[in-house]
Amino acid sequence: MFETKLTRRSILVAGAATALAAPFVRPSWAAPDTVRALMWEAYLLPDQITAFEESNKVKFVPSFFDGNSEAYNKLRVGGSKEFDLVQADGFWPQLYFREGLLREVDYSKVPNSSGYLPEFGAEVFKVLSDPQSGKKIGFPFCWGAYGITYDAGKVQPERTETLECMFSSDYSGMLSTSARFEENIALAALLVTERLGSRDKPRPDGKPFNPYVLSDEELAEVEKLLIQQKSLLLTRYQDNPTLFQLLQSGAVVAATEFAQVFRQLLTAEAQGAAPVDFRHALKMKEGGLGWVDTWLVTSGVQDGKKFDLCNSFIDLMISPTVMKKIGEVAGCSTTVDLRSISNETERKLFLMDRSNEIADLFMFDQPSSPEKWERVWSNVQAA
Amino acid sequence: MQDANLQRRLILDIPTGFLLLFFVMPLAALVTLSFWQTENYKIVHEWTLMNYGTLATERAYITFFLRSLVMAIGVSVTLVALSWPIAYFIVRYGGRYRIIFSLLLVIPFLSGEVLRLIALQGMLGPAGLVNGALIRMGAAPLRMIMYSNAASFIAFIYLYLPLVVTTIYLSLINFDFRLAHAASACGANRFRIFTEVVWPLNLSGTIVGFMLAFIPTLSASLVPRFLGGPNGTLYGMSMAQQFGESGTWALGAAMGVVLFLFSAIALAILSYGVDLRRTGFTGLGRQ
Repeated sequence: MFETKLTRRSILVAGAATALAAPFVRPSWAAPDTVRALMWEAYLLPDQITAFEESNKVKFVPSFFDGNSEAYNKLRVGGSKEFDLVQADGFWPQLYFREGLLREVDYSKVPNSSGYLPEFGAEVFKVLSDPQSGKKIGFPFCWGAYGITYDAGKVQPERTETLECMFSSDYSGMLSTSARFEENIALAALLVTERLGSRDKPRPDGKPFNPYVLSDEELAEVEKLLIQQKSLLLTRYQDNPTLFQLLQSGAVVAATEFAQVFRQLLTAEAQGAAPVDFRHALKMKEGGLGWVDTWLVTSGVQDGKKFDLCNSFIDLMISPTVMKKIGEVAGCSTTVDLRSISNETERKLFLMDRSNEIADLFMFDQPSSPEKWERVWSNVQAA
Repeated sequence: MQDANLQRRLILDIPTGFLLLFFVMPLAALVTLSFWQTENYKIVHEWTLMNYGTLATERAYITFFLRSLVMAIGVSVTLVALSWPIAYFIVRYGGRYRIIFSLLLVIPFLSGEVLRLIALQGMLGPAGLVNGALIRMGAAPLRMIMYSNAASFIAFIYLYLPLVVTTIYLSLINFDFRLAHAASACGANRFRIFTEVVWPLNLSGTIVGFMLAFIPTLSASLVPRFLGGPNGTLYGMSMAQQFGESGTWALGAAMGVVLFLFSAIALAILSYGVDLRRTGFTGLGRQ
């Protein structure tokens, strides 16, 4: 029998010991009968999740993130053992795989992968293959671009064939861009490199042109261009509902966005809102930015029951009926061919016949130097 | 006796432990991180003063800080000027409804800050209540209240007015108005009574109110994010970006340390003039 005296020191020691031990205590939700996903919240369909949990007798535990860099940090800090499934877009999956955060996937274990549109099939869509080993590292999910949504009554469609439209004083005070700094800089870089004619010159990384890998000279020009653009912007919107209101009210006539607001505007019109000729330009003559959201399996998942569960979940997510619902809820285009179960309006709304345009877009990527890009963005904000 | 000792220790040690775990340790981690570097979303564990050098020399961060400082001073001074008549009215003429009037000020706090900001965004925006009405009347919309520093200013006033009114109210309710009557009886006019009796004897409560608006405005990130527009980035918003999208946590940590030190110094200077017994916060009533 030993006595414990409750002193201030003993309480502080116990508190400190608990704090230090906390990271090593295995959380209850990490039990083997769970599937843990790090994902975008917009893709969570509660009824489908419940059905998956009931049919597989498992618990689905989602964690959410906004941007790729945030997911990357969570995955690295928590380690791939904290999550079984993760989502990412653009070239981020290749980075995850290089860093040993992902495992190879097997398309033969996911039957619905046979329903992909031709551009996203395993053999064609190389973004989800490791360039060194050729291994497949994930499954395409939704796709989109960062194009221009505009009111064709106020902005002539031919003006949106070039990115100059977003930097034109003709629309001063009636333009808007998102608050995402990577895409603002990358999009401006398309215009700057076109003006400088620097795309065909040797690139900083020795690879073909990528708007996310820029020289110091190009970054300086991007900074100047974005500073000029500031006086033309009404605001940099934080969320889609804000942009929806700005476009619908006519306060903004053109904005760069993921086509989600464009779809919401058309849907609102179909439901009785005042008719406005809203259109969306996917790709401009200088190029455009694109993204393909994916489902990836972390390197913490070993062959066996957990891997089968992950495959089963992905198979459910890319099944035509679930994909159609996700497209409607999240407002995105899908990589699975849904044309046989969609009507003409849906085909137009979800760009089902324009998926081949993804091949010409520059995929979202990690900035060549987040520190330099941050400085450029801060200078733009402070100017 | 032993039980009383144990009880006393628990009462002291639990908050102490809580503060150590959730305030001192994170602050220590922040200070440590501010002397490291981040490179491509990775922390480089090499001691350096580079982040502080960047903050002291780069125009952008100096601009953010000065913008925030000017905004915080402007907001706090305006709030004190607005809150005084409101609190004075409640205390002098509120009668038995004084408590109800002061509780009414708390109503906006029943909803979250983000919700209140979104509501304000809708009100000040191009299709909002103000500009919508102007457009319907055939007038041009007020551009200065749409996504601008003026919009942020209005939002700060809206957010912190209840706090400042309440602190000044608490100070005034503990003030002995017989002193004002005495000054009046001695021939002092209203202006002199206010400047030489009422104001100095309620200065402590006023300073506390000023600080309650000044500190959060200085570090605010949500208001400029929702309402500030392209030219409205403030220091707190930039700091939040370092920890979010850009992943430059070490620079963000240095920004946090600078903000903490500046706020602590400002607090220390302002606290010099505060006599808590006069603020109404001691619970001791009139002294």
